[in-house]
Amino acid sequence: MHLHKEVEEHLLRDTFIKFTGEITQMPPVRSHVKRQYRQREVYYSEIIEISGKDVLFKVGVESGTYIRKLIHDMGENLGVGAHMVELRRTKVSTLSEKNNLVTLQDLEDAIHMYVNEKDVRLLNQCIGNIESAIDFIPRIFVSDTTVDPVCHGSPVAIPGIVKLTDFDKGELVAIMTLKGEIIALGKSVLSSEDIKSIKRGVAVKTDSVIMNIGTYPTYKKVN
Amino acid sequence: MKLPLEGLKQDIFSIREEETDLKYGRFPEKRSVEERINYGFILLDKPAGIRSKTAAYIAKKLMAVLGVKKIGYSGTLED
Repeated sequence: MHLHKEVEEHLLRDTFIKFTGEITQMPPVRSHVKRQYRQREVYYSEIIEISGKDVLFKVGVESGTYIRKLIHDMGENLGVGAHMVELRRTKVSTLSEKNNLVTLQDLEDAIHMYVNEKDVRLLNQCIGNIESAIDFIPRIFVSDTTVDPVCHGSPVAIPGIVKLTDFDKGELVAIMTLKGEIIALGKSVLSSEDIKSIKRGVAVKTDSVIMNIGTYPTYKKVN
Repeated sequence: MKLPLEGLKQDIFSIREEETDLKYGRFPEKRSVEERINYGFILLDKPAGIRSKTAAYIAKKLMAVLGVKKIGYSGTLED
């Protein structure tokens, strides 16, 4: 954040406190959403360093919060004006800078070591499992016999579910194998509690299939 | 203040006990690099000044020698 005029530190700190919690903001003129006032939550806002008119801070916000706008509004509130200089995303969902961040250079080096030196170690560190990106989504684990039909887009019926986490009706749910591999993403037709108490019927509708067809075999129907 | 997904722990409830056939599929943690090349996830530290799309395109070009045909991305930051 770059302030257009110097302000006293306590005033700046007061403004940061004022812009924490529920805030209202108008998306900027050039934005990908409709321009109407929206309520967003600022979970925390922490000043790291103040150097003259420059302020470095860390902020945790609800998705859809415009930081450039937040800074602009804080500048107006202070009466001096301010604009954003640089922004870095340090965290999103369950992923953060603490995970294995890979630069394009790292990736190039890792590929070089793999291709020319037959050394897999760097590449191993670079590429994670796709499941790690969706570990926050509630999930159901289905039997081996259910995997192939789901790969073909079939919904999951209650008898196919072996294990599950908590979710509501209508929620986004990950459909996993018993080995923990992602098969597809779907939408729950019933809540997890209903699934536990009901014996048959559709539980989760399959939306997007991730696993390749043929990973698991087609089992013959027994009846 | 706590973030929405902070300390998230999802308890798994078992409806019944059932085995999985080790002949098919693979435990994610046991996948080889070769398997992850076309079925993996990279947390890319994008440099400032280029678009996410460009970064994904460069990554795809770099990984082409490994036989990667498709790369997608998520998490575009509209500031």
